[in-house]
Amino acid sequence: MIAQAIGENIDYAVMIGYFIAVLGFGLYFGRYTRTTKDFFFGGQRFSWWLIAFSCVATVVGSYSFIKYSAAGFRYGICSTQSYMNDWFWMPILVLVWIPIIYYKKIQSVPEYLEARFDKKTRVAATVIILFYIVGYIGINLITLGKTLHGLLGWEIMTGAAITAVAVAAYVYIGGQTAVIMTDLAQGMILLVAGLGLFAGAIYHFGGFGNFWALLPQEHKYAFSDFNAPPKFSFIGIYVQDGLANTGALMLMHQGFIMRFLSLKSVKDSRRMVVCWILVLAPLAAIATSCGGWIAKALVNNGELTTEPGTSFIDAAHFLCAPGIFGFVLAALTAALMSTADSLVNAVSAIFVNDIWRPYVKRDAGDKHYLWVARVTSLVAAGAGLALVPVFMKDTIYGAHSMFTAAVTPPVLTAIFLGITWKRYTPMAAFVTIVGGAYLIGLSFVWPDVLVGPLDFGMGPDSYKFMRALYGLLVSGGLGIGVTWISRPRPVSELKGLVAGTQTDAMRQFKGGEPNRTPGKKVRVRTKLDESLAGTETVVLSQSSLDTMAAEPGDLLYASHIRWWYGGLRSVHVKAGPVAPAESDTLLIGPDSAATAGFVDGQEVVVEKIM
Amino acid sequence: MDMLRVWPIVCEFGVGAVLCFVGIWCGLRGKYLDMKVSEDRRLLVTLVAGYLLLLAVMCVFTFLAPGWGSEGAL
Repeated sequence: MIAQAIGENIDYAVMIGYFIAVLGFGLYFGRYTRTTKDFFFGGQRFSWWLIAFSCVATVVGSYSFIKYSAAGFRYGICSTQSYMNDWFWMPILVLVWIPIIYYKKIQSVPEYLEARFDKKTRVAATVIILFYIVGYIGINLITLGKTLHGLLGWEIMTGAAITAVAVAAYVYIGGQTAVIMTDLAQGMILLVAGLGLFAGAIYHFGGFGNFWALLPQEHKYAFSDFNAPPKFSFIGIYVQDGLANTGALMLMHQGFIMRFLSLKSVKDSRRMVVCWILVLAPLAAIATSCGGWIAKALVNNGELTTEPGTSFIDAAHFLCAPGIFGFVLAALTAALMSTADSLVNAVSAIFVNDIWRPYVKRDAGDKHYLWVARVTSLVAAGAGLALVPVFMKDTIYGAHSMFTAAVTPPVLTAIFLGITWKRYTPMAAFVTIVGGAYLIGLSFVWPDVLVGPLDFGMGPDSYKFMRALYGLLVSGGLGIGVTWISRPRPVSELKGLVAGTQTDAMRQFKGGEPNRTPGKKVRVRTKLDESLAGTETVVLSQSSLDTMAAEPGDLLYASHIRWWYGGLRSVHVKAGPVAPAESDTLLIGPDSAATAGFVDGQEVVVEKIM
Repeated sequence: MDMLRVWPIVCEFGVGAVLCFVGIWCGLRGKYLDMKVSEDRRLLVTLVAGYLLLLAVMCVFTFLAPGWGSEGAL
């Protein structure tokens, strides 16, 4: 018997069953992880829809259901405003950042900063980014710890520790592939649970009009007031979330960078981002916030007594039958695990690529780095757990906002200026990161002097949000100012690293001129050819190449005919010489076939990448 | 008109337009975003359409939706 405070035993059975299923699901995909490329980037083979779900699952942390429902209960539908400002970053993401990191084969932000600037900038960024990600893990763990405390009466650290162990276990074994595949499942579950709860509430109230009428008038606006209340004003949320946090998620968050690099092609990133930001993110906004709106309507209808922090749980418990409530609790768990797993994997990638490989053990075998990556996953989960007591002093929303506003602006500014401005110098980038972090640190000592002038009349309660604006302004000011008094790198050294040179990066990636002529996919049967062993070359007939508008030397992608594998069984290859006779055959080396799990005579789909 | 409700739209979509412009301009420089390629033209249309769609949704839930219950529109 579980000593729960709310819910039935069947609810907890459903939640624990789900927990175990996800763990098993993640562990199952460990068999696809043989190299560090698999561990960090899932072999760079996944379809856009898979990564879109995975991204939304990562964006929606366990804190999302609690904090956005609490905001929804207090302030109404404007609780969704932080999910609706991602689109503005999309052009920079798909037209600049993703092409640069994908085609230049950049594995982490610090690695980019060294390639673009110098080594000392890389070191400074590594420290800040590791601090940022480990802190993020801590925020996620404390949320589930608090939730389980309310539900089961467990100590907060106990719930956080159990979750940390589970996440670390499947990341340890399955790496990025396990992260992506479990996130697909978890993304679907959290959307279904959240939207299902909303639909159930509308049914309960007898229609959307009745539900809408039960909300207070001031709860019906898309945005909160421009500069009120201090803890949830539009301008505070916008600078902290819309600029600093969203910018950091898009450009600086190693978990997302690894997700982008897991795509089978840069072209897929466009579809992925549209699906993620324009379709799934708004749905996630409703799913995570609706608990608070429903609770408010139930309170106004005299059916429920609750408070902001528990509004999601109380509304779900009120509306859901036993067992269904457990499914909603599982969504909470899903949200936590799908965010924490990405972060744990991200810490591992940065530690191996930016600390262990360059400074501790160079030129070791891939197996050694894979082992280090796995051990680091365990350490990262432990470090996040150690931060839980630090974040216990604040509300979840407050802790999250304070943390992102204080940590992200310097590195975000350096990346933004680095990719968009050729003149931006290495010295300026270093000063942006170190000087920006120092000045943000000073803002904790003299907040009234430094952040006060930017508070739009809201006072000290707004500082944890407005510090983001202060951080962006001082970091940007330092970067631009120092650029004009220092020497930039020659443009010839920046090819592929800055806007305007993305096509150079494409040429470097392919090793030749990119072929962007639109073509179609072809279906062919594999034929294993020992003479192609050890190469990525494949041989196709002229008609197949013509259908794809491909030429010898072009990069191709061969995958299983079942689209719903999402690229799990696929491989990147290169078009070799044209087959002497017309046929629907793909001559492929045994190594490439083994990578994709193809057997002799299997029907596969081939498309041109570039 | 309550300008406290209007300023958030002006601020979000004004700064957002600048960010979008920077991204598109950076794509057009060096012809990575090539207007002669059909899929690039589609991407540009999608970017603009997404911006306008979000603007429309935000305007509805600022100027129209708050009055729905009181007018019995639903």
